[in-house]
Amino acid sequence: MHKKRIIFSLLFNNGNFALSRNFNLQNVGDLKWLQHNYNFNKISFSIDELMLLDVSRSNRNLKKFSDTLKKITEGCFVPICAGGGLKHISDVHTLLRSGADKVIVNTSLFDNKVFIKEIADLYGEQCIVASFDLKKNSSNQYELWSSSGRRLEGLAKEYLERLDKLPVGEIYLNSIDQDGTGNGYDLDVLNILPSHINKPVVIAGGVGNSKHLAAGLSDSRVDAVATAHLFNFIGDGLKKARSDLIEIGYDLPIWDGYVAEKVSGHHMETKFD
Amino acid sequence: MPRSVTIIDYGMGNIWSVASALKYLGYNSTVTSNIKEISNSDCLILPGVGSFRKAMVSIENLELDKAIYAAVGSGIKLLGICLGMQLLGTSSTEDGYYKGLGLIPNSVEKFTKDETGDLKIPHIGFNAVEHPNDSVLFQGVAKKSDFYFVHSYRMLPQSPEESILCRYGIKFLAGYENKNIFATQFHPEKSQTNGLLVLRNFLEYKTHA
Repeated sequence: MHKKRIIFSLLFNNGNFALSRNFNLQNVGDLKWLQHNYNFNKISFSIDELMLLDVSRSNRNLKKFSDTLKKITEGCFVPICAGGGLKHISDVHTLLRSGADKVIVNTSLFDNKVFIKEIADLYGEQCIVASFDLKKNSSNQYELWSSSGRRLEGLAKEYLERLDKLPVGEIYLNSIDQDGTGNGYDLDVLNILPSHINKPVVIAGGVGNSKHLAAGLSDSRVDAVATAHLFNFIGDGLKKARSDLIEIGYDLPIWDGYVAEKVSGHHMETKFD
Repeated sequence: MPRSVTIIDYGMGNIWSVASALKYLGYNSTVTSNIKEISNSDCLILPGVGSFRKAMVSIENLELDKAIYAAVGSGIKLLGICLGMQLLGTSSTEDGYYKGLGLIPNSVEKFTKDETGDLKIPHIGFNAVEHPNDSVLFQGVAKKSDFYFVHSYRMLPQSPEESILCRYGIKFLAGYENKNIFATQFHPEKSQTNGLLVLRNFLEYKTHA
């Protein structure tokens, strides 16, 4: 049986990194800022996967995004998932050649199924993470929203019944209501999944501390827990959260940071300028 | 010790990550589909993400199969990673039957329900790998170390010599080493420090050909 995963998500907003709260973005700084304030190389040795999401609401610049992806992945030896606004197979190709192992898709799941099939045919289903943004409506049912939470697609449960027919490798469930609140995951979103689902599930939205990660990891339907909240894991925060979880008995992979320095042919810091 | 590594480019691999890991370890790499460069290199890496059939078609169209056979025949060491390992197999059933390079005598099939039961396909994530004490690739790597996998197809061990294994419902081949042919089903360039060690072991290994 494989280990569960902690995924760290970075939100890229037209050249800056951003925090998101209920899908409202607040820029916090660029790549240099990220390295300076967070020593990102160190963070990358405390996570099992990195997600780089282009959440730019307009004027997406794939070149800029993939250049950032390249710089980030240079010193980061974990699986990388990247995406946001992908429309053409050439976009996917660009990201996969810039350090990504998988791409994450959202809006195309609804309006460009041919594109999804094309990615699956060329790179395999395991290369695609299907992201679903969820919001509770007034009658307590989960709705699916696309286009960065601006377009309602319908009731989640109905749509997700066909999940097994989607040519994707993983399911990423993100709660718009919990996003950036720091109040913890809404684990009830997992109830919208069909019981027979045979694809790994990632839960996102709401993490404020390591207890929230633990709550997600404890749910048998969850394969990976994601957080995009930089400030909650400042300094050694993520490293500590991770070692705490391992100590309590969560089955996460373990790294030896010392080995990293031993095997490195040169100085291990990557310079982001 | 080769400081320069040739990464075989057939248009589909996750080349950047492999190159980054090599750079981290202090090695320069050349990414190429040039047959001459491949036959003249001292160390080859065949990376891979994607569909077996499309990859093989691309390899055949670029005549990289001949270049790989020639290189391996002259003793150049080769490491296949993930799909790159599968491509070294005899055949795969992905998108119907298709022949592989045949440098590893095993065929590639999809995990079956019988094998994995309730486990999810693809097999994605970090999983423990067992290896024999005399393994070249795993020298200095702790027993039951975790490595990153992402695949739906696998090779099954065919002989007791094939003993770099991982369990996912069933024990499958997590790695392969025979003379100058090396392969990993996992992504060493995505397996944190454990993977960096495996890559370094491959790079520093001296072939006796």
